[in-house]
Amino acid sequence: MKQDFENDEWMKGVRETGFTTPAHYFNELSESINARISTEKLKSVIQNDGHTVPDHYFEKLQANILAKTVGETKPIAKPKVIRLWNSNLVKYASAACFLLITGVGLYFNQQQSPAQQTVSSDLATEQMLYDIDEQVIIDHISSTDITQPKSTVADTDLENYILTNYSQNELATSL
Amino acid sequence: MKQVEDSEILEKFSNTKTRDEAFNLLLNKYQQKIYWHIRRLVIDHDDADDLVQDVFIKVWKNLDSFRSDSQLYTWIYRIATNESITFLNKKKQRNNTPLDEVSDELAETLIASSYFNGDKIQLKLQQALLTLPEKQRLIFNMKYFDELKYEEISEITGTSVGALKASFHIAVKKIEVFMLNEDITF
Repeated sequence: MKQDFENDEWMKGVRETGFTTPAHYFNELSESINARISTEKLKSVIQNDGHTVPDHYFEKLQANILAKTVGETKPIAKPKVIRLWNSNLVKYASAACFLLITGVGLYFNQQQSPAQQTVSSDLATEQMLYDIDEQVIIDHISSTDITQPKSTVADTDLENYILTNYSQNELATSL
Repeated sequence: MKQVEDSEILEKFSNTKTRDEAFNLLLNKYQQKIYWHIRRLVIDHDDADDLVQDVFIKVWKNLDSFRSDSQLYTWIYRIATNESITFLNKKKQRNNTPLDEVSDELAETLIASSYFNGDKIQLKLQQALLTLPEKQRLIFNMKYFDELKYEEISEITGTSVGALKASFHIAVKKIEVFMLNEDITF
């Protein structure tokens, strides 16, 4: 009787502290303690997982990641444009080159001799004749009167004309 | 070396003049943590290497729009977790692998990997982890290896703290049973 009374008093004291626990806390507590004990025991035997990596792997990994992130977003350096016309040296050099090329061109053009020009035109004519059919040439010659037309003026008339229009000195120098 | 505060990184990143420096600081602070987080999920080093680069490229592109209503590192962890899970799902689809055989494939990768030098017990723990459902494995890794708090894991995974605790307890029990079956006691 006395013991029941003491228990009730104790329970009353507990209830009056105001503390509560989450639902099913005491059911899970024993499991948590067992799991902790097992884990601690396991840790005393196995501290790490046994996996390894190649030598200097993490240095290389960091470099690889940086190349794919920080490295890729860096703006590509614009190629420096150097304006050639800003330099006086380039201006004068260009003008000199232009004059030199023009002069050389003209010089060689003038150096081409008339004889060379005649040879080239003769060759062209020859080639043209070679290209024309032989029979066409024969027909053309036979159909054309190639005799020199006779002068209608008499020789005496010409002689008189010369003697009346030219002096003795002029005739002497011309002949 | 003194760790730079996230707030300082964010402040520097918001200024175009100090943006590159901020990203360098962020990489120094988080690249290893994020690599290991991904590596424990996908197991293979080359896959983890590709994924960790993808994660930080996303971070670089989206850090401008990061709102400070969550913590920077939980935000990065969330990106890394999502990328890893997407990768594993694609791998399943690509290889037309049934779900229960994915862990077998990853276990084979682990054994064949030239970048695993764990002892017998470490190997057994990894094999035990690969028998767990993806989410339990994720939670166990974050709690056990990364030593994150439930609240932080909750922010990363979007799962309630209560559900996370339950998942972790179940994972631990399964690992215990697996290890006992392999005659490993601890």
